[in-house]
This record gives sequence, structure tokens and C-alpha cells, in this order.
Amino acid sequence: MRRARVGIDVGGTFTDFVLSNGADGSLTYFKEPSVPSDPSLAVERGMAALLDRARLEPGDVELVVHGTTLGLNAIIQRRGAAMALVVSRGNRDVLEIARCRMPSSYDFSAPKEEPLVPRDLVFEIGARSAFDGTILARPPVEEIAELAETLKSRGVAAVAVMLLNAYVDPTLETEVADALASRLPGVLVSRSSQVWPEIREYERALVAGLNAYIHPLLERYYATLTRRMGELGVAAPLYITASNGGALSVDSARARPIDTVLSGPASGVVAAARIALLTGRQEIITFDMGGTSSDFAVSKGGEPEYTTRTDVGEFPLILPVVNVSSIGAGGGSIVRVDKHGVLKVGPESAGADPGPASYRRGGTEAAITDCYVAAGIIDPDAFLGGRMKLDRAAASGALERVAQRLGMTGEDRAAQAAEAALSVTTAKMATELFKGLAQRGLDPRGFALIPFGGAGPTHANLLAEEARLAAIIVPPGPGTFCALGAIMADVKRDYVRTVRRRLSDDGAPQALAATIAGLEREATDWVGSEGAIVEATQLSAEADMRYAGQAYELHVAIPAALGKTMAAREVGELFHQAHERLYGFRDVDSAIEVVTLRVRVVGRVPPIAIPELDKTATAVEPKGRRRVFHRGQWLDVPVFLRDRLVQGQGFAGPALVEQEDTTTWIIPGWHARVDAVGNLHVSRG
Amino acid sequence: MRTDPVLLEILGNKVTACAEEMSYTLQRTGRTLYVKETADFGTALAHLGGKFFAYPRAIGVSGFIDLDCGPAIRKAGALEPGDVIITNHPYESEGLATHLPDVHVIQPYFHDGRIVCYGWAFIHASDVGGRVPSSISPTNDELFQEGLLIPPLKLVRRGQLNPDVVAMIRANCRTPDANIGDIKAMLAALTVGERRVADMIAQHGLDTFMAAQEDIIAYTAMRAREVLRRLPDGTYSFWDYLDDDLATDIPIRVRASITVKDGEIAIDYSGTDPQVLASYNIPTHGKRHPWLTLRLAAFICTQDKTIAHNEGLFRHVHITAPKGSIVNPEFPAAVGVRHATAIRVNDTLNGVLGLAAPHLMPAANGGVVIPVVLAEHDEATGQRNVIVIEPMVGGMGARQGGDGVDGRDSGISNLANNPLETVEADASIRVLDYSLRRDSGGPGQWRGGVGLCLTFEVLKDGSAVLGRGMERMRFQPWGAQGGRPGALALTILNRGREGERDLGKIDMVLLNRGDTMTVLTPGGGGFGDPYLREPEAVLRDVVRGFVSIEAAERDYGVILRDGRIDEAATSRRRGNRPEPALRQPIDGGPARDAWETVFDDRRMTELARRLLALPRVARGEQRKRVVAAVVPALVQSKANDIAKVLDDPARQSAELGRTIERLPAPPRPVTGRAAE
Repeated sequence: MRRARVGIDVGGTFTDFVLSNGADGSLTYFKEPSVPSDPSLAVERGMAALLDRARLEPGDVELVVHGTTLGLNAIIQRRGAAMALVVSRGNRDVLEIARCRMPSSYDFSAPKEEPLVPRDLVFEIGARSAFDGTILARPPVEEIAELAETLKSRGVAAVAVMLLNAYVDPTLETEVADALASRLPGVLVSRSSQVWPEIREYERALVAGLNAYIHPLLERYYATLTRRMGELGVAAPLYITASNGGALSVDSARARPIDTVLSGPASGVVAAARIALLTGRQEIITFDMGGTSSDFAVSKGGEPEYTTRTDVGEFPLILPVVNVSSIGAGGGSIVRVDKHGVLKVGPESAGADPGPASYRRGGTEAAITDCYVAAGIIDPDAFLGGRMKLDRAAASGALERVAQRLGMTGEDRAAQAAEAALSVTTAKMATELFKGLAQRGLDPRGFALIPFGGAGPTHANLLAEEARLAAIIVPPGPGTFCALGAIMADVKRDYVRTVRRRLSDDGAPQALAATIAGLEREATDWVGSEGAIVEATQLSAEADMRYAGQAYELHVAIPAALGKTMAAREVGELFHQAHERLYGFRDVDSAIEVVTLRVRVVGRVPPIAIPELDKTATAVEPKGRRRVFHRGQWLDVPVFLRDRLVQGQGFAGPALVEQEDTTTWIIPGWHARVDAVGNLHVSRG
Repeated sequence: MRTDPVLLEILGNKVTACAEEMSYTLQRTGRTLYVKETADFGTALAHLGGKFFAYPRAIGVSGFIDLDCGPAIRKAGALEPGDVIITNHPYESEGLATHLPDVHVIQPYFHDGRIVCYGWAFIHASDVGGRVPSSISPTNDELFQEGLLIPPLKLVRRGQLNPDVVAMIRANCRTPDANIGDIKAMLAALTVGERRVADMIAQHGLDTFMAAQEDIIAYTAMRAREVLRRLPDGTYSFWDYLDDDLATDIPIRVRASITVKDGEIAIDYSGTDPQVLASYNIPTHGKRHPWLTLRLAAFICTQDKTIAHNEGLFRHVHITAPKGSIVNPEFPAAVGVRHATAIRVNDTLNGVLGLAAPHLMPAANGGVVIPVVLAEHDEATGQRNVIVIEPMVGGMGARQGGDGVDGRDSGISNLANNPLETVEADASIRVLDYSLRRDSGGPGQWRGGVGLCLTFEVLKDGSAVLGRGMERMRFQPWGAQGGRPGALALTILNRGREGERDLGKIDMVLLNRGDTMTVLTPGGGGFGDPYLREPEAVLRDVVRGFVSIEAAERDYGVILRDGRIDEAATSRRRGNRPEPALRQPIDGGPARDAWETVFDDRRMTELARRLLALPRVARGEQRKRVVAAVVPALVQSKANDIAKVLDDPARQSAELGRTIERLPAPPRPVTGRAAE
């Protein structure tokens, strides 16, 4: 019976698996060490082990949803395809000039970003449209043929075409791209008007360019992955998680890999938003603490917050993605004392290799993970379910050197230093969180914190205390949360068209409605071919609008019925209201311009069951106790095993809850309670 | 230091985050583009002395770290909880506000009935009245033309907005709603700051919070001094020029002399030209001031990338800025476009630091910010459509070990450009070329960044193009340590077409349908002898189109054939170089050389000294007379070719000496800074 769904998240250190068994509603978790040189090998190995653990056969799997940071890493490490960019005459420096900003206003030695394509691989062609789509210049056949020869001789594996104003009408760009493609067999030709037809040539060139850049790499990866799954006997359809928190069929992801680059953090946020909604929490902040950084995101009413202004590596990305902010503090952040005797944490990170001192892989400097170990929060013998032994003496030794430089004395000086470093980290996280919320105009006090990642639950209570958050919800499998998010994701894709029409113009409502209808057709056609897992589909439209003359637009949701007419008065009123909410005033005398229309299609995937804990089981005693250093003293703290907790069980902090993929630290003054599906609710009092 | 090293780090992070959170609140609730998109605003926390102990790292205006709220606070009278001071008066606030659109507010934060620190915010208001819309014009020659003047007074009393002040502001600007909206956004930011300060005191205690303010600054000062110690002890002097003073064709000189001793640095702007009858004056009140130390701050923050931004950066910096000079003008000198001068002050400071530590400072940046503006008639509305096509900057200067950045310049502001697609949709023009300007970067062992090129065609008759900030059209961005200067800025009508014409420095030019306009910005200066540049690097520049094959041979002595380096020809050429190898320590190009054969440093320093001793109203006129006596053309006409008008340097030099001697000589000061 094919009832099992498998979510997979390929990270730098571990490849995480979650299996949802539809037959009995159970969840099975597994972590397999990643193989950076051959990432799908870890997927193959882990899949076999996971099925074994769940006592299922490959044939039982009905769906595999897979997330990978391969594309993102290729961009960050500049390991993508040798590629060329083709642009309109006069626009050769679109990547060099970019948006003209330098990364730092102070540091004059900070270089600008290395352009995605070196200047000698950017080629101008006599193809140009006007702002209204009128074709001003068409390249003669000979010019295209000559360019194709040049591209051939330069040996590029991919070509992106971005012509000025192609967002208005793709005809000319398509002609050029097709003509090049027909002369360049085996070379991927990506065109901006097809990938993302939004106004702003630099950003659009990057969408098309990055798409081409990672295409060959991911193409190879997905081919190998598909083959290996087949060899294992897993015949289920393969889906890939996307940066917008949705999933795509592997064919869609192959055709447009750029949609998947920021999928990793997005998946965890999707899972958290879903879980929170099930517990009745509307407003949450996710807190994903990893080795080098921590990610924050805000969700309301089960929907993550999206943004169309984010970065991948050194480049801005205008695709709609789950809005995740990153701060440079994680388990690997290094603890140091500067020459003036001031304690510093990060931004340098020990990473996974050599890692914190307690990893005994050659790292000698203390990292945040060492602080957990030295303070007794993490049991060095129970890390990753005991699969990786940490060295407590090494952690304490590294921290003693820190303590010495801080002038700390006494037997517990390593623990003192550990606590000091944790305080510095916590303060840094809380201040970053406050800033992020201030940018959004939100008050932290109403939010619950949902921690995941290896260290999220370990640090969450310290952060919640410092940031004065009311509650924490620790989901059952925080260490494999992104993999869980993968199988919770709906099929989802976004469509865009820049229109630039004044609402008051004759015929504007009809034209806008027609554009929305066109995007909806495109979206419906696509989702229809995404496979049998898709149940109901749902379309939603948004218009980016502004008062004429403003430089930036507000995104305004357009209700379905209004989208069919785009009646000027109603649409205008929605914009006025949005403007009033954000800026506190409306400008009724100003013309309103609709700059860009967006349509999102969501194909609902039947929800997985979240298994309930056994109601009849009785609470068991802690497995033991250990000493934890907190607020300057050693506390005697009970240690609970997560998988032995029962529904409704409650206990007060200080307490530790251990599970294979993480340890949750509950500080004095806080109280934990286990809900029906095993979430740990931690709150004050 | 009284604060323990763990708390110091925690509180250091917290106060900086507080200042940043104030900024995010201001940006989110602000109303105008200046605030929301250009981010022309600031927030900070000031200690009881009025200087900042917490300033944002990555949002808002980066350069105002060393402002002083003290005078405005003292002049506002006794303060009560809930009071907020407002001012935009450059002279009454003693340099807190530096031009009238910058509206500043200060709120005392109380705890148990006593002030524990101050919150500060400023915005660039879109209009504060005055002679021209947006209130800024270089041709304003008196402060009163520049808009409403608000001396330090209470905008809010005990939490109540003073309606009289609000009414007065509203009545005196062209965009009252926008201004009041932005002012309210500042009040929102101050409230956030107040809340966070109260939180910190509640968590850490008042004594800790008060001690930390001083210790945070002391810690930054310690780290800043460590950087300043990398400058060898000694005295160094440098000067640079603005092309002209707007009213005449006479260049404006900015001169700085620094004395470094064990990480203490005294900067003396004596020898800088007197204030001018244009709005180029920088009101600093003659004290340590952000506009006079901006490049030094950049130097410190480049050397120590994680140093906290607060007053401590400048604790070991001392300033002399003679009263009546363009860097310390007397009331009521106009100040609207003070940043044009600030760019050159930056270059000057950069140059003088480079003399002290050549390996740590770059050559000159392109040194311009030119917003190319189009004004066209809109048939639909009957109004004039005015849009910025592109804010144009030059390239950045090269430095030891690194080429200058091409086509960008974060030296004074770090603004984003406009996408061509939005420009073409908003204005009746077609952009034919927006590119990096080949061969404009100053040659050097490390190449100066190339400038930008913008060519656009006008699609409507009677469109006007305005170009403010046109500078470096006479004196090139200098190269350093054997590096050559960057190319000058140029404006060309119908480049490569019939009717091609060099337009020079434009204020406004009318164009007809089909005309094209080209603006070329300067490249940054090169660093080090170009003949020492790796031939491979020159080849790469040629392949990538930053340098032409001809320039590779002419400027670098690298000879390329069929896309490869001709090793033999190159070493022959490099062996018999056609001109002297080094022009130490800076090379400002032929115009600067020609100028200084007559208007040399010794004489011009003396001229500035004597002019400043004259009554304020007489200085400008006397300066004009002195120059007219030597080179009449500079007073009679514009855009003179320096080399041509200085056709008899020996005679002209002697004449200059005689003319200066005729001015009354003020007594020399007995001692230097030691007396202060």
C-alpha cells in the first residue's frame, strides 16, 4: 500500500529525513551525514535506513519531497556554469553597474560584488524595444549567427538573454533566444521575459542569469537522484521544495531551478506555521539556530510572511520568497576575548569542520556549542543520540582560557565564561529580533517562539526570557524540521507581469483584468500538470500599486471577484486603505498606478497526520539529573527524555528535555507542558 | 573602565541596536521618499554632554556620528519629561544642523526625575521654504534665502505637541503634510528609544547604564587610537580644489595639515579659502565636526571593521577650522550645498592621511555626485515632469593592493541608481548607453576605478537637462604614489553625431527631439607606478574592456598582439619609458600643475590668512580683486582653460605675490595648537 510520504532536506552537515506513514499516522525521523562531494548518495543511504527504521518497503512510498541547498551553495561559492549574458546594445554593463551601491558606506577597502558574468562574456546585440513594447531594432540574421559562433568558441554551457523592456512584450527576446538556441545545441538558453517578466533590468537579468547559472548543476543532480531512487525501488513521484514555501514537481524544478534556491529555510517556516495553527497560535516567530547563523521569520495565521526583496549570496533576488532574516550567531560562533579584554562572540564560526573544541576535530577555540557542554546544558554523551561523542574537557579547557582573559577565577570559571558567552549571544539575538520586528512594525510580546534546528530549542528559552516573549512551542522533531516542512508543503508557484497602467485610463480595468485572467490561465495549466497529489487548487492575485510619481509600490491583495473586473474605484480604494495603514494618510488627488500584477497558484496537497501521543500512558520520572550552571550557580536539574513524555504532562524549570536531535533547556521561572501531539509548550510561571 | 567586559559587550550591542531600532521605526513610519527610500535620516543616543554613545551601523546617514547636541540642548532651557527640542539652525545649533532641510529633534530621557541620556533624530525634509522648491540651490548666497530657520526650541512640552510651532512650520514650507508626517515619524523613533532605555535601566540598573555610556565610548576610543597609531608621527599637508566658486571662475581651495603624535591627530584647515557667496559653506562652528572628519572615520572603520560607531572614534582627533573659511563660515553664509565642498574636504583629508600612511589610503575617488535631471512638459497634466534620470558618480581610487571600484563611489553618499526601464517609462527619453567609461580610471600599478557614461536621446522638444554637482571638470582626481589621475568629467551634446559639442559645466541645457546628451564621470586616481602593473592584469583589463589596447601601451607600457602580451616588446617599452617614472607623491594632472605654478601653496595659504583678517563682507571682493589682478579672465568669464590663461607664469606669480603683499598682514599667532 503506497501511503508513506518522505520529506528530505539536504544540508551541509546532515541530510534529514521525515517519513509520514499514512497507514498508522506515525512519523519517523532520521539523520544521515551528508556527502558534499556526492549529495544524492546520502539521500540514497538515508532513504534505505529510514525505510528500515519505519519498517516499510520502497514500494510503500507514495511521494518524496526533497529540498537542497545545492543551488544556493553554487551561487555563494561561485561554482555554477560557465555562462554568457546577451543584452541590448548600450546595456553591456548592467551587471557591473548593478544598482550602483557599495556594500559598506564606511569601509573603502570592501570590494563590490564579483559580477555573475565577467564583462567579456556579456554581449550586446542590436535588439531593442521601447518602454511600450514597440520593437526599435531587430538584429539581422548574420549578427545572431556571428554571436552564436562567438558563444560556441567561448565554450559556455549556459546563456541568459535579457533585453531592455522585454518585460512588456517577450516577442523580440524570444526571437533572439530561439535563434541562439537553435545554433547552440546542448546549451541552455534562459530568457528573462519567460523566467520573470518584471520591470528593472538588473534584477531581471539576475533572475534569468542565476537560473542559467545553476541549471546544469541541478540538472545533473536531479538526474542522479532520480536514478538512485529508482535503483532503490522508490517509484514515487519526486517533488522539490521552493523558496516561496511551496513544492514543485521535479520537472518544473529542472525547468526553472531558480525557484528553489532559498527553499531550505522556507520549509522550516512552513512547518512551524502549520504546527502553530494546529495549537491555536496565530502569531509566531521561528528561530532556526544552526552552526554559523540563526534564522528568524514571522508567520501570522498559518501563512509565512513573504518578501520580494531578498539576497542570494551577493545578489538581490526579486522573486517572492518566505521572508527569513539571518544573524551571524550559531552553535559554531567562536568565543573570544579581544585585546582590550572585551568578550566577543562571532561573527567568525568554527563551522562543522574543525567545529567547536568539543568536537575534537582540530578546533581549539571555544564555540557556543562548547558553552552548552561546559555549562551542563548538553550531555556530551547524548549528542545526536550518542552518535557523536563530545569532549567536555576540551570544551572546558577552551573556555578556561577565555575565563582567564576575563579575569574569572574559581573552579567553575569555565562555566562562568560559558554563561557569559551565552548572555552575549542571547543579547545579540534579541536585539536583532527587535530590529527585525521594528522594521515590520510588530510588537514582540504577542508572539510565540518556535525553535528548530539542532540548537534552536537549546537556546530558545534564554532568548525568550531576554526578548520578553510570552511562550515557546518546541515541535516534536525540531532537528529535522525542514524535512517535515517539505512534506507539509503545497504545490505553489508565482506569476508576474509588469503592466504600468493608471487606474483612471480608459480601458485600464479591462486590460488589467485580462492580464490577471491570462496569468491565472498560465497558472492553472501549470498546476494541472503537477501530478496527482494536487487536490483543490486556489488562485490569488495581488497588484503592486503606487501614487503616480512614487518610487516604490505597495502590494495589495485583490479579491477573486474584483480580479475579474478590476473596477477602478474598488481597486483604488483598496490601495488607499493599504497606504493609509502603512503611512497614515491617503492622497485622493493623485492618480494611482498599477505597476505589476501577481498571481499565485496553490495546489493543495492532502495534509499529513500529526500523530497523537498515547492518552493512556502515565508520566514517567526523569531519566536522571545533572548540574547546569545558570545565573552564577550550579542547579540540580532533572533530565527528561522527549519520547517518554506523555500528553498533558507538565513540569517546571529548571529542566532539560533530551531527544536524538536536540536538547531543550527550560530555565527557572518557566513551565513546560506537553500537548496532544507532543509539542512542548513552555511559558512563564 | 568600570563596566565588566561581558556587560560592556552586551550593553554595547544593546545601545547600538536601540539606535538602529529607532531608525527602522523612523523609516517605516516616515512619509517621504527622502526618508523611506533614500534613507536620508539618522537616529542616535547622546550622553549628558550631548555627543553620541550609540549610533546605527547600517541604516540611515552614515556620517553624522560626531554631531554635538550639546549647544541645542543648552539653548532650549530647562527640560522636563516629555519635552522634545527641534532645530534646523546651523549657526544657533553650532553645527548640529548643517543645512536647513535637516530638521533635528532631541528628547531628554528621564529616570527617577533626572536625565539619563538623550534620544536624537534628524530627517532631510523635502522642503523648508526659501527661494527654490526643495530649498537647496547652489546660487543662494545668504542663509535667509534657504528657508525657515528654527532655533533650538521646544516642539513638544511635557508630551504635548506645541501647536504654535507646528503652525509656524506648516506655514513656511511647500510640503507641510509631508514635513509634519516625517517629524511625527521622528517622534515615534524617540519614543522607541525612550522605551528601550527604560528597559535597559530596568534590567541592568541605572549605575551600570550610566557607567556603560562612558565605557562604551572609551572602548571605541581605545580601538580608534590603535588604528591612528598606524599613522607615523609627523606633520603632513595637502590641498585640493573645487573647480570654481560658481560666481566666478576662481577655484576654491581646501587645505588640511595634520600633526600626528602617538595616535593623537590634530587637523588644521588653515589655508582653506574664505567662505563663498554660494551655498557651498560648511557650518561647523569651528570645532570637531563630522563633515571635517568623515574620511578619517572611514579610515578607522576600514582598519577596524567591527568598531562601534560613537564619539569615541574621534576622541583623539583635534580640529582647527579658521573662522570665516568655507569650513567654518560666519552667519549668515548660505550652506545648502555644503556636501559639494564636503566631497573635496574628504579628498583633502584622504590625501593628507595618504601622505602619512601611503599604504593605507587610496588615491582620490571620482569625487562627484551628479544627479542628471530632466524637466519636460507633460501634455496630460499641463505640468512640468521633473525626474532624476541617474545620480551619476565616478569610480573609486585605487589603493595599495587593490584596484579602484568601477562606476561606483561610496565616498560621501551611497545612493542606488534608477533602472533604465523605469526611467524610460517615466520620462520621454531613450537611453542609448549606460556603461563603464573605458580608459577613465587613473593608470597605476593598481588602476583607478573607471567612471560612468550615460547617453540618452530626448524624444520631446523643449526638454531641459539640469546638472548640479558638475565638478572635476578642471582638476582631475589625483593619483597617488606614482599613480596617474583619473579622467575629467565631460558633458557632450550629440556625441558622434552632427552638431557634436562639448557642453562643459551645465546648469541647464535645452534640448530638442532627437538630440542626445552624454555625461561622462571621472575615474578614480591610480596608485603606484603603472609600469609596475602586472602585464596580465593589464591584459585582463583590455579583454574586459576597461582599458584600450592603445592605453595599455601608452599608460602601462604593455604591448599586446593578437590578444596576448608581447613580452619582448613590453619589456623593451618598459625599459625605455618615455617620461619620468615617479611624480611623488600625488599627480593631479596638468591643470593642477599649471595652476600651482602661479597659485602655489605658500602664497595661497598666506592669501587665505590675510583675507580672513578682513571684515567678513570685504573678503569675497578682495579675493576676486587679487585674482583679477593676476588673471582677469577668471573673473570676467567662465570655463577658462587654466593652461591658456596662465600664459606667463613667472610674471603672474610675481604679480600674485605683490598683490597679496598689499593686503594688510594680521599678526601671526604665537604658538600653534599647544596654546589651545
